[in-house]
Amino acid sequence: MGSFMKTAPISLRERAEGGQAPGLSWEWTAFGAIVLASCGHLLIKVGLVAAVRGVAYPGMLPKILHYLLEPEVAAGLAIYAAGTALWISAVSRRNISFLYPLTALNYVLVGMGGRLFLGEHISTGRWLGIAVVVAGVALMQLSVMGEKS
Amino acid sequence: MSAITALWVSIFLGSCAQVFLKKGVSPGGESAVPSSYPALLRSGWVWAWAVCFFFATGLWLIAIARIEVSFAFPMLSAGYLLVAVLSIFLLKERIPPARWAAILVITIGVAIIYKSS
Repeated sequence: MGSFMKTAPISLRERAEGGQAPGLSWEWTAFGAIVLASCGHLLIKVGLVAAVRGVAYPGMLPKILHYLLEPEVAAGLAIYAAGTALWISAVSRRNISFLYPLTALNYVLVGMGGRLFLGEHISTGRWLGIAVVVAGVALMQLSVMGEKS
Repeated sequence: MSAITALWVSIFLGSCAQVFLKKGVSPGGESAVPSSYPALLRSGWVWAWAVCFFFATGLWLIAIARIEVSFAFPMLSAGYLLVAVLSIFLLKERIPPARWAAILVITIGVAIIYKSS
């Protein structure tokens, strides 16, 4: 007990000096958040494909509420929320300006998922557009770093 | 409302939501001290964010029910341009030329995706 009381503050200080919060590393939380966000969006799409078949809605709000209650849509939104929680944890470990451009990976992952799991055909033009958007997000980051220095 | 209209309105409302939230959490600009939670609940801007966020999400569901997700998802990055324009008017943010250049590249990417469908 006595030795624990002595060592605990030292290990806390070491963590603070290392700039590392306890728990998972930023790589796991950031990439985990990105993978969960992409999976969430793909699962939402799976649920909606089932929901739209032959249903007429009296208005926009009933339509939205019905969609939200579709099991895969609700699960997809929950996975997306879990990804957001992981993201907040990643942001607490590294600067947002370093992490943010990584979210552009979502565009690539959702594209690949759409192709593999939903049978979407992705034309060369669409891949090119996705690549240009990802390059633009990276460029945005470089411009932010340029403003700070 | 057609699916593509739902997508555009969703992108617009999502962008408005971001700017309203920023206006709500730091009404005095970037350097201002963040408000307390009770103060946030009394802020009209925060409520405007919540309403926009709800309908942006709902319209997003309506859009991707009909549109391919590999098309609709990267189209969301049209929001980069919209947020920049809205932030000039509502937040008086100054956008440096290098950032405009990056936003231009992103918008060209969105146009390529839109054209290629």
